[in-house]
Formats: sequence, structure tokens, C-alpha cells
Amino acid sequence: MRRLTVCAALLSAALCGVLNAEEKMSMSDADKAMYAELLENNPAEMDVAEGEQLFGDLIGAEGYAKMLGVNEKDLAAYLAGFPRYVEPAKKVVTLSQTIQMAAATAKKPVPKLESKEMVKMTAYVKSLANGEKTSIDVKANKHMEQMLKLGQQVFEERRGGRGLSCNSCHSADIVGQRLRMQPLPDLGAKETAAAGTWPAYRMTQSQMVTLDKRFQQCMNNALLAKIPLGSREMVALEVFITNKTKGNEIQIPGLKR
Amino acid sequence: MKTLIKIKPKTYAAGDIVKVDFMAMHPMETGMRKNKDTGALIPAHYIDEVKFMFNDQLITKMVIWESLSVNPLMSINFKVPSAGTLKVIAKDNKGQSVETTTAINPKG
Amino acid sequence: MERRSFLKGFGVAAACAVALPHVASAADEKKVVGPNEMNYETAVAAITGGKAVTPSAKVKMEAPEIAENGAVVPVKVTVTSPMTQKEYVKAIHVLASKNGNVRCANIYLTPANGEAFFGTRIKLGGTQDVVAIAEMSDGTFLSTKQNVKVTIGGCG
Ligand code: HEC
Repeated sequence: MRRLTVCAALLSAALCGVLNAEEKMSMSDADKAMYAELLENNPAEMDVAEGEQLFGDLIGAEGYAKMLGVNEKDLAAYLAGFPRYVEPAKKVVTLSQTIQMAAATAKKPVPKLESKEMVKMTAYVKSLANGEKTSIDVKANKHMEQMLKLGQQVFEERRGGRGLSCNSCHSADIVGQRLRMQPLPDLGAKETAAAGTWPAYRMTQSQMVTLDKRFQQCMNNALLAKIPLGSREMVALEVFITNKTKGNEIQIPGLKR
Repeated sequence: MKTLIKIKPKTYAAGDIVKVDFMAMHPMETGMRKNKDTGALIPAHYIDEVKFMFNDQLITKMVIWESLSVNPLMSINFKVPSAGTLKVIAKDNKGQSVETTTAINPKG
Repeated sequence: MERRSFLKGFGVAAACAVALPHVASAADEKKVVGPNEMNYETAVAAITGGKAVTPSAKVKMEAPEIAENGAVVPVKVTVTSPMTQKEYVKAIHVLASKNGNVRCANIYLTPANGEAFFGTRIKLGGTQDVVAIAEMSDGTFLSTKQNVKVTIGGCG
């Protein structure tokens, strides 16, 4: 049912044709295992190491924990709960935004969300929570509740020339089908582990990408107007997607196609 | 050029064969890609030689071309003779070169 | 919410093509001659000096049968050899038979390696054979190959 809607919405015979086709062209389990091994040597590890340096020059874990008002020894568990409401900002923010706050606190130039430095620092800071479980709490306060609702709205809103929403490709009844040979991922699935695995190295782009940047890449592909990084809508989308994979282990940097 | 050496497994004894993984951040430009805006070819830029040395003795020399992936990985095996220093020297076709070292500490 | 339209004139297919820059260019129909252009026969002759190359089970290659992304194809080569001063593998050569420059890597080993192994990730411009040629210390050349299908599915 939903599949028909997508095809109609896409209005593109080419795209409809490839949905669900080419099953034989997908990788065998042996092939997949070989790719899983790539994780062992993820080029983004070099970026994370650089992020550590950059972050150290900017503020360091101690000053950062202080700014957030948490004990340094509780930092990992605290970081696993982002996006979250933070008192100094008086709003729900992403990890990247707390790095901007840290720069401002330290009276240093504030790195742009789009910048390479920010991607590296975000990955490093999130990697401090490696091994923790994604622990976002959407019921923590009214701010989080509102953001979850807004996130769902953004996820389901049909926009753009083809009238697509995120849900057109990522709804429960369509995931697993193929679009141009790419399986449509279930963003809540354990294997996708969307929230716990970004920032991730994208092999198709030979670079590390943050979760919100990944959203923008989907928007680009589906011809949806790009929602700016750091906007309320973008943070809300991150809240909504992160909540889908609550409980999954954080493993940064991830490795994606 | 950022680089990283990993020895696997992490603990080993003298006489063991370990795997040495070397990674470098490098564009590995083929010289066949065009700049999307200008249409001009992007000049080839790739790592063309990598040497693995143990205590300054050559173990493995690699001659590399642009077909290796961006941010390439090169792995070899190495039979650990004793404690010492493993050094990897990577050079690209523009003459930029980087030396990375790691300590070899066999246990037992 | 920002409702400015960023829609450009191109369709989804065009948007997908940019996702795979390295492979897309290598697969261009009008193939551009690269700086290191060398075809398969010439490259093999350069390695062997015209000597025979014998396919052998001593040379083992691990590569995916299907690579969803031609920009990152893992390849591992192992050659059976005692790796002693008397008898060892002098070199492992990896070639991508249909790339603009078929040469990927020449790995010159020594007995200090303990085991003749080379692992890497290569770019493949399209479906083709990946070939490994081992140069043994007795002057012979052994080889193996594997076909890798590249499905350039660049969407997302
Ligand atoms: C036209 C279909 C389509 C639409 C619309 C779409 N996506 Fe995607 N999305 C995909 C495909 C296909 C992939 C997987 C691509 C791959 O495997 O590399 C993907 C992957 C993702 C991932 C990465 C999952 C992982 O591996 O961790 C995220 C996150 C994501 N999409 C979020 C979104 C959001 C948010 C939106 C709405 C703004 C959206 N997508 C809209 C097709 C779509």
C-alpha cells in the first residue's frame, strides 16, 4: 500500500523499477563479513584522534564537564543521553552545539557546525561514550517532549517537488526494499543502530559525516529542501531518530556505505 | 599526511607473526577525475612508495599506484624477532613524505 | 522551519551520481587517459619480463564477489611459502585488469615477514578480474584471480 504511494510520489519510472529489483546483485554473507572487517581499520580513527587534539586545545574534558555541570567521571553516561536539554543553553541541543558552547565559554572562535573541525571534535566527544548505551530520555522534561513531537512531524511531513517525506522511504512497511540497489534502512533496527554509529566514515564519500549531515544528504537525494544544521527542526529530527535506537551501544566512529 | 600503525594482536611474544596495519589520510587522486565546476582534470596525487623498517632494516617495500582507495590501508605480516622500533615511511608522488614509528614490545 | 526551496533542475539520478565521485569518473564512457595509463598485458610483462605465469592454489585471494561500492574493495592475498632465506616470496603484485592503470601495488617482501601476506582496499572502475601475481625466490611466477562485480548503487 505504502509502496504504491512512494512510487506515485516519486513519479519516476526509473526509480519505481528499481525498487525491490536486483536482489541477486546484493552482497552474500561472506562479502558482508569482509566489509564488516573494514571496521577494524576505519580511516575515521585518524579523524577522531585529530578531534581529540582539537578538543584538547579548545577546552578539554575537564573544562567541558564543568561547563555542562557534570562530574567528569559521569561524563560518558551523560554524553550517551544527547540530544538533551542543557541548562546553560536553556534548550535541547546536540553534542556539536555543546562544543560551540564550550568554545564560547573559553572565549575562542566558535567552530561552524559545517566545519571539518566540528565533525572531528563531535566524533571524539561522542567516542568518550563508546560502550555506553544510547540513553536519550524524551520524557525528561517538556522541552524534550516537544522536540520529540516536532521531530516526528518533520519526519513525516511531505515536502519538495516529489512530495516525499523521510517516512516515504523509512516507514516500517517499506524498509528492507531496495532503492537503486540500496536496501532502505530501518532507522530503528539494531543493525542500523543509526544513533550510536554516527559520526561515521562514509565509504562512498571517503570522509566522516555526522548524523545531521547524513539527514541532509537524504534530503538532497530526495529533493527535499535542506533543513539547516543546528535549526530547531534539525535538532528535533535528531531527537526523534535517536529515540528509535535507544538502548543501542555507542560505537564511534561508525562505518557506512 | 596523517597516519596510523596498528599491530595485531596487541600482545605477542618474540617469534610470533603479527599483522601490521598501516593507514594514511590521503586523497589518492587518480588524475582522471574532473573538477565539477571547471571541467579541468584534477592532477594525480597518490602515495607511490611505502617502506616498512624494523630497527632500520627494510622488511617490506611497496610500490603503490592510484588504484588504492582514498585514505588507503596497507597490511603485511611480520615475524617479531625482538624488541625494537617499527618505522613506516610513506611518500607520495608530489614528494611529500611522512615517517611513523611504533614500539615493538614482545612479552615473554 | 526554513521553507526555501533548494530544488535544482536535476533529478534523483543525477543527485545519485555525485555520491560516487571516484568510481563515476573511472567509469566515464569517454575514458580519460590518466598519467599512469597501462594495460593489462603490458603491466604483466613489466612484472615478469616475459616469463610464464602459472595459476596456482598456493596463491589465495580474498575479495568480495560483489562490491556495492567500487571505491572501497577489500583485497587480501596470501601465498603459501616457508619464508626462509632459501625459499620465500619475493613479491606480491596486485592488478585490477580493467582499470585505466591496471597496476595497484607491487609488494616486495623479505623472509622477515614470516608469512607472505598483503591486505589493502582498492578502487574498481567497474566489474572486472582482480589478479594477484606472486614472484617466488626461485624465479617462477604464480597467480590467482577473482572476478568482482561492481554494482554502482550510489543513492543515499
Ligand atoms: C528517496 C528515499 C529516501 C528518503 C525520502 C529519505 N531517505 Fe534516508 N536513506 C535512504 C536510503 C536508500 C538510505 C541508505 C543508503 C545507504 O545504504 O547508504 C538512507 C539512509 C539514511 C540514514 C542512515 C542510516 C544508517 O545507516 O545509519 C539516515 C539516518 C536517514 N536515511 C535519515 C533520513 C531522514 C531524516 C530523512 C528525511 C529528511 C530521509 N532519510 C529521507 C533513502 C531515503
